[in-house]
Amino acid sequence: MNKRVFLRRALEIIPGGLSWGVIISLILLSIVHPVASAIIIITFDFYWIIRTVYLTTLLIMAHHRLFQLRREDWLQRCLGLPKDKGFLRLYQLIIFPVYNEGLEVLRPSLSALSRSHYPEERIIVVMAFEERNIHAHDNALILEKEFAGRFGAYLSTFHPDGLSGEARTKGANATWSAKAARKFIDSRKIAYEDVIVSCFDADTCVEPQYLGCLSYHFLTSDKKHQASYQPMPVYNNNIWQAPSFARLVEISSSFCQLIESMRLEKFVTFSSHSMSFKTLVEVDYWPTNMISDDSVIYWKGYLHYNGDYRVVPLYITVSMDVAYSSNIWRTIVVQYKQKRRWAWGVENFPFVVDGFIKNKDIPLANKLRRSFHLLESHVTWAVWAFILVVIGYLPILFGGAFFSQMAIAYNLPKITGLLFRFTLLTSLTWIFLSWTILPPKPKGVSVFKNVLLVLEWVFVPFIILIVGSFPAIDAQSRLMFAKYMEFNPTLKGDKVL
Amino acid sequence: MLNFQRIRGVLFYLSVFLFFAGLPLIISFALGYKFNAHTLKFSKTGLIFVKTQPDGAKIYLNGKLIPQRSPASMQELVPGVYKISIELAQHYPWKGEVDVEAGKVSRLDKVILFPLRPNLQQLNQERFSSFHIDTEKKLIYYLDRENKVVYRSDLEANNFEDVASLPEKFTQIAGWQVCEDKRKLFVFNPHQISVVFFDNQGDYGYPDYPVFLDYPQEKIASVFWHSDSYHLIVLTDKHVQVIESRPRALPVNLVELNKEGAAAFYDRQENALYFSDSQRSPDGSFYNNLYKLNLSTSSLLLERLMAQPFKGVKSIRKERPGE
Repeated sequence: MNKRVFLRRALEIIPGGLSWGVIISLILLSIVHPVASAIIIITFDFYWIIRTVYLTTLLIMAHHRLFQLRREDWLQRCLGLPKDKGFLRLYQLIIFPVYNEGLEVLRPSLSALSRSHYPEERIIVVMAFEERNIHAHDNALILEKEFAGRFGAYLSTFHPDGLSGEARTKGANATWSAKAARKFIDSRKIAYEDVIVSCFDADTCVEPQYLGCLSYHFLTSDKKHQASYQPMPVYNNNIWQAPSFARLVEISSSFCQLIESMRLEKFVTFSSHSMSFKTLVEVDYWPTNMISDDSVIYWKGYLHYNGDYRVVPLYITVSMDVAYSSNIWRTIVVQYKQKRRWAWGVENFPFVVDGFIKNKDIPLANKLRRSFHLLESHVTWAVWAFILVVIGYLPILFGGAFFSQMAIAYNLPKITGLLFRFTLLTSLTWIFLSWTILPPKPKGVSVFKNVLLVLEWVFVPFIILIVGSFPAIDAQSRLMFAKYMEFNPTLKGDKVL
Repeated sequence: MLNFQRIRGVLFYLSVFLFFAGLPLIISFALGYKFNAHTLKFSKTGLIFVKTQPDGAKIYLNGKLIPQRSPASMQELVPGVYKISIELAQHYPWKGEVDVEAGKVSRLDKVILFPLRPNLQQLNQERFSSFHIDTEKKLIYYLDRENKVVYRSDLEANNFEDVASLPEKFTQIAGWQVCEDKRKLFVFNPHQISVVFFDNQGDYGYPDYPVFLDYPQEKIASVFWHSDSYHLIVLTDKHVQVIESRPRALPVNLVELNKEGAAAFYDRQENALYFSDSQRSPDGSFYNNLYKLNLSTSSLLLERLMAQPFKGVKSIRKERPGE
């Protein structure tokens, strides 16, 4: 094993090793020294409460910002910009990588895009199909007939299977289509810096103001090419039809993204996102052999610009589908797999640290800070729910008669219970905010569903284990043992995404 | 957005401050430490946890009423002995002393407060000499020696009915037992056992007259229904016997006893009879032994028992006289 491969493997082992180390150490400590374990658990509980309150405050601020800007006419604001900002030159390139999603998924996405309040002649749509999908050409033809006339340009690309150096990932398809779009852009003699590229999941439905909002932020940002632009993902397309469990998980995911949008120094692209086409070309497109292409593209920009690259939050939503299946157990499996795929973002850690080692221009403090944030976020993701839900009870279980006589044995459940009752306040906030981001209730959906939307929050403790710790531990263990994951689309209702 | 980031910065540092300021307090509280604001020092304390049955009782700690009702805990107590009294209206108070140790919890979690007026219920007002409770069938059997009748009711003393009439001339009843099949009972006095069948048992082929088993030469000490509900196990002053509950049945002597007045217990589940007897050793001293006699319903075993009376008798523990 050469030095580079050894380093890479070591970096792959670190997150999983740390997570397992924390879990096993706490279990062992609960047996051999329950008092020490109880102190650590109380410390972690207290930390978690403070963190929850802090993050909920950020959520409220982000939510406020989202609602403050929801009625904004972004196109008018763009038109009001000085001419030298270049709005009239600006093109929007939108890529929809299609795995094997059908027309029932793709049509709503294109329809939503076609309703954009944005000059249609400056919208270039690329439907990026996989050549291996037997329905790809037929679907492409149907969609071209329906939508080609509604945009400035409409391309269908077909990504060949099994290209050298590629894995079967969304990034490989997106990169192939972006290169095809580049040829088109070159043919029209459009400057790369005048093109914003958005890579959307196939089920992404944008709001009419999205392209205007994106353009405005792009044109008014300092170092606009050294930034990615991140809308707020919500899962409203089928939220009224989805079961409670799945709905709750996806609402929580949206909230997490809103919270992250307030922590700019940690903010990383996620799912559907936009950026300068010039930058995309310069960083050599999305990775073609990694599943978490959405976040890796940010790190590629960060490394390329020696740390001077950021994510600009766009307080406008893009809506996607809730991942669910025909019954609760299948839904749990679907959700588990989706969250494991998200947690596979841990592959960013070896990629980023490896990049930091090669890059000599990023300040060491920045490298350490960003590496620590990345590692800490993944390790915390894997262990927090486990500590709160399982390990918290182990000292009492294993402590024996001697421990049960200690004051801390009596106080441990009391303090934990008290702290968690305090978080009820934050839960109420989350419940209220979850209502406000819901789309209008469709006809035929019972009023009872509104009540259910409140009651379903009691399932949170069970859900956090299933879609909190376990998928992250699973993903990190796979990376640790070099059992690399392949991209699998998520089942969403009767669709595959 | 900048304002939001400023607010966020303030919140972040406030959270960090709260964490580091609050954590020592929470941990020290959890470990049982108390902060003395006058001396600015922590001292280790203990606590008392009180749980009563029923709950809601007033708790006095060294004569002072604490605000909480049971279940309650009294924390930050300096180590030492504390007087606790627990009071609940219409209940007997509980009083005691509790030793509090530093960093430990003294648990009083098994305190039962008994009501002043016990939950006493008079079931009936009848003349009977003794009774027998059948928990399985939820019945009470009453023996009225004076009127020579056995009757029964349910456990709430409702639905009385006569079940059997005892023989008129049967006197000096020393004991009785309802058979497990609930169709007959025996009564015995020192020299006679009478098996009496319950009324209306004709359908089952039982006679409607009692069976008498006489023991003119021996004195009956105790009698048990065998688990087959047909044999009787009889301990007399001389023997352990089995006898069928039919007219003119002859007893089988299983064990010859050395001592009069042997104590006995019959375990229906195990089909075993435990009894005591004395034994003289070759050196002349006496031992008081406890024996276990297996009493299978198998006829083969009974035959074997008849052929070899002492086989199947097992001494459980030998005891020297005076021990």
